[in-house]
Parts: sequence; C-alpha cells; structure tokens
Amino acid sequence: MKRSWAPAWLLALLLVLAFMASLALGEVRLAPSEVLNVLLGGGENLSRTVVIDFRLPRALVGMAVGAGLAASGVLMQSFFRNPLASPGLLGVSTGGALGAVTALALGWASNSVFALPAASIAGAFLATFAVMALAKREASAEHLLLAGVALNALFGAATSFLLNLTAGRFEVSGQIVFWMLGGLENRTWVHVWMVLPGTVLGCLMLLPYRRAMNLLSLGERGAQSLGVNVRRLQWEIIALSTVLTALATAVGGVIGFVGLVVPHILRLGFGPDHRRLLPLSMIGGAAFVLACDLITRFLPGELRLGVVTALLGGPFFLWMLRRPT
Amino acid sequence: MIRAENLTLGTRLHDVSLHLPPGSLTAVVGPNGAGKSTLLLVLAGLLKAEGSIAWLGEDLNLITFPERGRRLAWVGQDLQADFAFPVRDVVAQGRHSFGDDGEFVDDAMQALDIAHLADRPVTRLSGGERHRTFLARALATDARIQLWDEPTANLDVRHGLDVLQLATRLRDEGRAVLISLHDLRAALCFDQVLVLDQGRLAASGKPEAVLNPELIHRVFGVKAYMGQEMILELP
Repeated sequence: MKRSWAPAWLLALLLVLAFMASLALGEVRLAPSEVLNVLLGGGENLSRTVVIDFRLPRALVGMAVGAGLAASGVLMQSFFRNPLASPGLLGVSTGGALGAVTALALGWASNSVFALPAASIAGAFLATFAVMALAKREASAEHLLLAGVALNALFGAATSFLLNLTAGRFEVSGQIVFWMLGGLENRTWVHVWMVLPGTVLGCLMLLPYRRAMNLLSLGERGAQSLGVNVRRLQWEIIALSTVLTALATAVGGVIGFVGLVVPHILRLGFGPDHRRLLPLSMIGGAAFVLACDLITRFLPGELRLGVVTALLGGPFFLWMLRRPT
Repeated sequence: MIRAENLTLGTRLHDVSLHLPPGSLTAVVGPNGAGKSTLLLVLAGLLKAEGSIAWLGEDLNLITFPERGRRLAWVGQDLQADFAFPVRDVVAQGRHSFGDDGEFVDDAMQALDIAHLADRPVTRLSGGERHRTFLARALATDARIQLWDEPTANLDVRHGLDVLQLATRLRDEGRAVLISLHDLRAALCFDQVLVLDQGRLAASGKPEAVLNPELIHRVFGVKAYMGQEMILELP
C-alpha cells in the first residue's frame, strides 16, 4: 500500500521554521544566523542570554505541550470513538489545572519541583475517571460533551474558589490566573525538565499502539475479535493520554483546542490511519503551539496562549459541529 | 471445532450447550430478544458467561488474544464507522493477528463484491455495503470458525444469497460456520439449526426435524404451512 511520508516532512519543516522563529523573534529581534551561532555555542552575550535562558526553554516547553496535547486528543478520539473528544472539551485539562492550582495554593509547589506536575497528573486522572463514569463508552457525542461541560464548570468553580482563598497573596493568585489562561511566558529550564522527558517518553510509548488503535476506533468488540486485548489497550492509552495532558497543563496551564483542532485537520488531509495520524499530530501540535505562541508576542495587549488557541480553535469547532458527518 | 457446555448469563442465556463440528453450517434462529446475539458474543469470547467453551479442543481461557484472532472471526450486527478508513484498510485489519501480512485481503473483497469500493471511506457506504466490508474483514482472517450475527439483515436479495453461498463454501472447506438468522426458510438449507427462546435452547438438530409447524408456533407464535412459494436462487 502506498503511504507517502511527504506530509510528515512538510510538517517537520513547518515545525523547524516555527522553532527558529520563536528563537529569533520577540522584543529583541535576532538574525537567523545569530540564532544558529548561539545554538552552536557561539554568539554575543546578549543573544546568548535571550536565546538560551529565555526563548529556548519557552520553545521546548511549547513543543512538548503541543505534541502532548495533540497526541492526547488523538488517543481520546480513538478511545471514545468520537472525533469530538479532546482533553480540553472533556475537562481533563481543567482537572490538571485544578491539581496544579491546588498545589500552588497550598504551598506544596514550593517544596519540590515535582509537586506541581504530580498534582496536575492527579487532577487530570480525577477528571478522566469522572468522564469515564459519567459517559460510558460508545456514549453519544452529546452525552460526552455534556459530561465535559459539567466537569469543566465544576473544576473551573473549584479553581475560582482557590483563587478567592488566595486573594491578597498576589504572587500565588497571579500564578493561578496564569494556569487558568494558559501560556508559555517565563518558562525556564526547570519547566523543560518537568515536561520534556515525560512527553517524549509518553509519545514514544504510544507509537507501538497505532495499529491496534485503528482497530479500536472501528469498534471494541470487532477489535477484540481480531486479537486485540481491548481492555488492556484502553487502560494504557487512556492513562498515557491523561499523563500527556497533565504534563502539558502542569507547565502551560489550560491550553484548549490543540487536541481537537490539530488531529482533525490532519485527519481531513491525510486520513484516519493512526500509523500516520499519531506522529503527524505530534509534529503538527508542536508546530501549532509554537505558531500560536508567536502570535501572542506580536498582538497588542499581551494575549495569552490559551486565548489565542481558543480564538483559532473555537470557530473551527463551531464549523465542525455544523459540518454534516 | 467449537464446543460449549452449560452457558449461562443472567437472564439472557440459560444452560446452553452446543457443538459445531468441522465442516458444519449452523443457523441460530429465535424471536427478537431470544439471546442469539448474546450467544454469538459469548462463543466468540467477547462476553463472559458461566460454563465452558473450547475452540479447536482448547479451553478458551487458555488461548491468547492474538491466537483468538487467528482461530475465530466474529461479525456483529451493530457496525458503526465514525472514522473514514478506506474499505481496503478495514478489510486488511482482518490480518492484524498475522502481522498485517495482507494475505486474503483481495480475495475477501472479491468474495463480498466490494472490490470496486476498495478506496471508498467506510463512512460513505450504505448499510449493506458496510456490512459486506466487515464480513470481508472476518473472511480475511482465514479463521477456522466464523460467527456472523444476522449477516443478511441489511443485504439485498442478491447479496444475501451470495453470503449464504459463501458460508456454504467455507463449510465445504472444513470450517465451522455459525450464522444467526430471521429467515426460517433460509435456515432450512443449513446442516444444523439451533432454536433459542428466552435464552434457552428450545431445540437443535437437522432443520427439517427441528423447524416443524408445532415448534414454530410455540416459539415464534406464527402458523407455518408448507406450500407453493417463490424460489430465489443465484444464477
């Protein structure tokens, strides 16, 4: 069977361009040659500081967030057999954010670097289990989305409550607002270590599941009759997708629509075969988040990343709902 | 080839035992809700029930998942397709437990008359075409045991007869084929008929012995006459 990898190269090229742009562009504008110089260990002191201390960690975190969220979206869509499922709509992102905010509000986050991602993972799993309990598998799209609406509202309210509790402690409440809106500002190498190894590992662990996910997305029983251990596969992919979302949320806050929009566009363009869709979504998600982050740097009023992805993703989602299936 | 003893599942199945020998074509009939689909799911190992099941002489619980995929193929009734895989890719999934070697895929598409739809997304098929696609996926497994749940329900007369003829061919190749049906007249052509009623096996055996007016009246609540009727067969 012919399977062209041209789209992968194209997306990879886009990703490289977005990566270089996010290192070069901003308040201090650097020439591409200077960026390359810095990456190769040379360059002026100012450029080195700008690239190595500020923009490189931000870009790496952005790529990990984008790849993780997009992969997580692909997994949830396959798991729920529903192209509308995604970490944002189902409340898994908000669950992760609630975990992160709880860790901040209660001061755990200052004790250990890993407290924040751990709390975020716990919150995301809470949300995943709640969605699974509320909307049984093969639930209708309406049921699933309504469960997501309810969870998003609930976790949002709990987060607001924590925000109220910390009123007056401006440093903490500022951080909480950051997690609610999502963004990549001021990300440091600590955040890179928080998110990047886990995301790379998670994405690599997913690759062997691609063939079985093809079968699963056409029905659980059919997949099992063809030799897939469906129960185990489902646990593994839902756990991995939750961890990927949680890691992304722990460093970037709630960044919506990446897991929905990116797999969808790629599926429209290159078909639903997970052997291609999953790696393409990882590359495409990373490029999408970097591109959105670049937009935040140039639009006036310091738009947050989560706001930009929502501004782009919201209309897309509405268009998708109107589209005849 | 497949043997089941005392299958019981809540109120859906009561103490059903059966044996499908190699080279046999068996029909399961019964009113709506009699437990036909449940029985097929249990036999396919897709639904847990009390009792014991053996495939090719081996206890089902001891057979690994990939080996199950090689030994038995099952096609359900409720075939949804929410993702636009091309027909050929769906049929090729039948080879999952064989490392996607692509064997029998073209033959299976030919046999189900969907070769001309190979590149069409499954989301853009009619109900009957989709059913034939999933039957082709089961056929591509080359499994020794085939369980099909109402395979003809969505099909036109011609393709319905095709499927029954295909089942006969598989029987002649030495496989065990079990098909659930509503068409009692079609069941008359099978080697063996199982009649399910409220989860119990009401009768089993040769169709001419089992499908008598008395039983049909008792189980289905209709009167059966033998008489002149239009006969449809493949040219």
